[in-house]
Amino acid sequence: MKTILKTGVAALALFATTAGAAELKFKPGEDSRLNWGSYEEFKKAHGDLKGQTLTIFGPWRGDDEALFQNVLAYFSDATGITVKYSSSENYEQQIVIDTQAGSPAEVSILAQPGLFADLAAKGYLVPLGDDLAGWVKENYGAGDSWVSYGTYKGKDGASGYFAFPYKADLKSLVWYVPENFEEAGYKVPTTMEDLYKLSDQIVKDGGTPWCIGLGSGGATGWPATDWVEDLMLRMYDPATYDKWVSNELKFNDPKVVAAIDEFGKFAKNGKYVDGGVAAVASTDFRDSPKGLFAIPPKCYMHRQASFVPSFFPQGTKLGTDADFFYMPTYASKPELGKPVLGAGTLVALTKDSKPARAFLDFLKTPIAHEVWMAQSSFLTPYKAAKPEAYANDTMRREGEILTTATSFRFDGSDLMPGKIGAGAFWTGMVDYVGGKSAADVGTGIQKAWDGLK
Amino acid sequence: MSITQSLRRTGLPRLFVHGAILVIALLWLLPTLGIFVSSLRDKDQITVSGWWTAFSGAAQTQAVRLDDPTRQTQDATGFVIKGTLLDGAGKTVTAFGTRVQEPAAYPADQIADLGEGVSLKVSADGSYELRKATAFEGDRGQRVYLTVMTPPAFTFDNYRTVLNAEGIGKAFINSLTVTIPATVIPILIAAFAAYALAWMEFPGRAILIAVVVGLIVVPLQMSLIPLLKMYNGVGALLGVPSKTYAGIWLAHTAFGMPLAIYLLRNYIAGLPKEIIESARVDGASDFEIFTKIVLPLSFPALASFAIFQFLWVWNDLLVAMVFLGTDKDHLVLTGALNALLGSRGGNWEILTASAFITIIVPLFVFFALQRYLVRGLLAGSVKGG
Amino acid sequence: MTGQIVSAVGVMIAGVFACAAYYWLSDKLLNAALPVRGADIFADSRNLNRRAVIRPWLFIGPALLLLAAYLVYPVVATLWLSFFDRSGDAFVGLDNYRWALTDSEFRQSIFNNILWLAVVPAACTFLGLVIAVLTDRIWWGNIAKSIVFMPMAISFVGASVIWKFVYEYRGAGTQIGLLNAIVTWFGGDPQVWISLPFWNNFFLMAILIWIQSGFAMVILSAALRGIPEETIEAAVIDGANGWQIFWKIMVPQIWGTIAVVWTTITILVLKVFDIVLTMTNGQWNTMVLANLMFDWMFRGGGDSGRAAVIALIIMAAVTPIMVWNIRQANKENGG
Repeated sequence: MKTILKTGVAALALFATTAGAAELKFKPGEDSRLNWGSYEEFKKAHGDLKGQTLTIFGPWRGDDEALFQNVLAYFSDATGITVKYSSSENYEQQIVIDTQAGSPAEVSILAQPGLFADLAAKGYLVPLGDDLAGWVKENYGAGDSWVSYGTYKGKDGASGYFAFPYKADLKSLVWYVPENFEEAGYKVPTTMEDLYKLSDQIVKDGGTPWCIGLGSGGATGWPATDWVEDLMLRMYDPATYDKWVSNELKFNDPKVVAAIDEFGKFAKNGKYVDGGVAAVASTDFRDSPKGLFAIPPKCYMHRQASFVPSFFPQGTKLGTDADFFYMPTYASKPELGKPVLGAGTLVALTKDSKPARAFLDFLKTPIAHEVWMAQSSFLTPYKAAKPEAYANDTMRREGEILTTATSFRFDGSDLMPGKIGAGAFWTGMVDYVGGKSAADVGTGIQKAWDGLK
Repeated sequence: MSITQSLRRTGLPRLFVHGAILVIALLWLLPTLGIFVSSLRDKDQITVSGWWTAFSGAAQTQAVRLDDPTRQTQDATGFVIKGTLLDGAGKTVTAFGTRVQEPAAYPADQIADLGEGVSLKVSADGSYELRKATAFEGDRGQRVYLTVMTPPAFTFDNYRTVLNAEGIGKAFINSLTVTIPATVIPILIAAFAAYALAWMEFPGRAILIAVVVGLIVVPLQMSLIPLLKMYNGVGALLGVPSKTYAGIWLAHTAFGMPLAIYLLRNYIAGLPKEIIESARVDGASDFEIFTKIVLPLSFPALASFAIFQFLWVWNDLLVAMVFLGTDKDHLVLTGALNALLGSRGGNWEILTASAFITIIVPLFVFFALQRYLVRGLLAGSVKGG
Repeated sequence: MTGQIVSAVGVMIAGVFACAAYYWLSDKLLNAALPVRGADIFADSRNLNRRAVIRPWLFIGPALLLLAAYLVYPVVATLWLSFFDRSGDAFVGLDNYRWALTDSEFRQSIFNNILWLAVVPAACTFLGLVIAVLTDRIWWGNIAKSIVFMPMAISFVGASVIWKFVYEYRGAGTQIGLLNAIVTWFGGDPQVWISLPFWNNFFLMAILIWIQSGFAMVILSAALRGIPEETIEAAVIDGANGWQIFWKIMVPQIWGTIAVVWTTITILVLKVFDIVLTMTNGQWNTMVLANLMFDWMFRGGGDSGRAAVIALIIMAAVTPIMVWNIRQANKENGG
């Protein structure tokens, strides 16, 4: 047995290769859109960590991983720390297994505050300290909200700040093809009432206004939860939304039921959706935006978060071939302002170490944000990151919505307990589109929630 | 094969046999053929049209953009923008249009009057001419819709993307390093145990057999956390890393053990009693009987289990991620391919291509071991059961 | 790269060799410790008896050790966890069991699992047997076998993509799912297969049957090869036809193997969750126990107590199979 172990170890040593220093995407000091001052400053302050390693576990794979690696290259360059980043399709399982077995990565990045809250309650996260919370509050657009999404109860029951926001997604967007609008003479609606009018107009002209797809394999249903959340924010004030997310406001409350039914006005209207109601639940969310680009178009509008352009056909130019407008609010409810629904990834320490702390410091520099902004698919509410750094106008406009947001709310389903936000809520919405009434669906989800306690 | 011959002589309609197997084979092949064809298609086409349409040339409607007004030139009759819209490869334009609702308003080679003194002609070969008496303005080119006859087109791009991915070669070797011992070790251990359970007398044998069968059902997921805890403990105690090849071999060995013992015991117990008894009478020890008689005779069973264990380990992602870790140096092939998919998945082109790349090695193993399944090793040595 | 390959091969050989060395050395040691010299008959026969008592344990020792560490220990841990709350800290008695009895999703899973257990093992074994028998009789049998075997070699992720392109539903216009394309070609209406109430279970089962028939085929094919030719020749001489040979000679001869295949697939069905997880995640009333357990174990940080209860119920479901196997083993001992 011992021989095997030893040979295994020997093999490990042989197999371990040093990761070659990745090239820096933008040469320090050259691109004036980026804040190089902050980079030099960080470099000076963290010169004592050379040769150490840092393990990071995150949600980004494929293209996103390549973009993130480019950011990490700057961290490694500045500190001399070797970063080992890994991800997994099953990262939710992986993190549960790793933390419980006591061998997590030092830094864990997740998109679900609900999951972090759970890990914090079991004592698996390292508190980041109130100073950092204060810094986020100060420097992030709608900083209060961001702080609250990183604040959880620890194992001792006391509240603490555990997760630092890095990279945001904007949800309240409706995508369309400007030329299709121009040709048909449609105007971008600025109120919810106009949005309904436009949808009716499209139907009258013989078209189909919406592409909605809830399919996502095992996660089927989640796109509908975004719709309901967006509508909750447009029908009621943010405080009501918060109560709903924490279940002070029951899922079968008439208010929530009304919001679900509002979604039904789009998704359960056979004339409004491409393929009819039956197609809504089964069409894959990654395939459904393609209807915008069909000729003749299968639909004119698609409500989805800022990540969706990666599922547009190859060669689609944002701003020309496709564009977005802010999901409008009701003219009849001016007191609600312009609420923003979003999501984001949060960074937490699952094992404390100097390199991990240095990494958090790095994320506080504008350059850590700008390097990704200047590539693609990255938004940040960090106010010191220069908007000029965004790779294109579309991203810049999205970023602007985030930094100037007064009320920002996190994707509710990510805040609810996993069994609800990533379970009963999804299933409920699928059932709703499949024909169940909103009241029944609300009652069902509420029952599941009660069952958790 | 004389069983075959004797069956043939019995005269069951052979046509029926051929037909039945053909139907089954087609049913089994068709879904796989679907992704094989898909893996050779253009990434944007995969979810737009059925894979079976890929074989015939199809009329596709596509949107293209003409050159922008900065490219305009002036000639005797006015301003003109010229260019070509097709990238060759046997495509021909059959119709074009400028309104998305009527994408095929004009046949190719016809001059279309677009109003406001603008005229457009798109030829079958894709070249176009946009004319106007006065200068064109604006900064973006006009959008035009084309109906294009496209010959069937297949591409290896998807395979290229997968095979050129960073670290795929290393991942391949890692996978082999995990899989081969994780296939051989359990066979060895299980064969000894199976022999003992089948032919050796000792108390509690029947109960042990039942427990082994029952253990097949233990859900893997249930054991991951306690085991990883144990690994971390052992690793800290011995001062070695907790995630090693030895660790994952043992894990796979143990997880495959109940099924291995169950299958092999069943086979070994069915070996003719006379052979083993006569060897015992000749004074052979159990160790000798096992290695010299039972092991060679059990080749079909060993080979079939080897195939399954190999497949299971080769295609496993979860156990590898947990016991070998997720860092790049130890990533197995499934992990490396998995990392190619975007954070939100849905890259069907990569999924389809990698499904075929991962299938090659197990299929090779199947073909290599199949001849052991076919050899009638026991033929002639037994007189009925 | 060459260095890596060399070290990989070295590691593999060392690993396998260490394992083989154990059996060889332990046997030698046993023989040396209890020698049979032929001088003293009583000592020799005593030593021989002792060897016979010890040797079985040398043979099954490593297997038992591995099983105990990797499977029995987690089962005990699971039993322990089932009496505790979601994070495994507070003792909650039978609460988790009580929850299982009242949970509607749990009942749904039991119902679906019974469906799966009734259909999949039977279908796989039957198809596997038919294919194994028939492919023996034609010259392209090996090709057909390889085709049926192929799904076994495809990973579950690959399989889920394959079946996405079979069951995919598109509202209007061109269908990209094979099944709907066929249905519309015959003039029918396209269906959303995976959300059709009740029947969707069968569409998911089809995937497992597609994968597992290859397993049944390989095992049964090996068993068929073991049937002595003389037996069949004799039957042919007696004038039996193919049908009679199949039912009266082949099936009884390999009956034990058929039972093993059936048992294995039954247990597999209780365990398999990948298909349900990737295709529907239990939505549209397709939940099965294994997926439900997976859900409670990992989703949103997990609830180890409830997951443990479901795992135990899955394990309890095998008890009849275990009892049957004990009987089987005892019968062999007796005969």
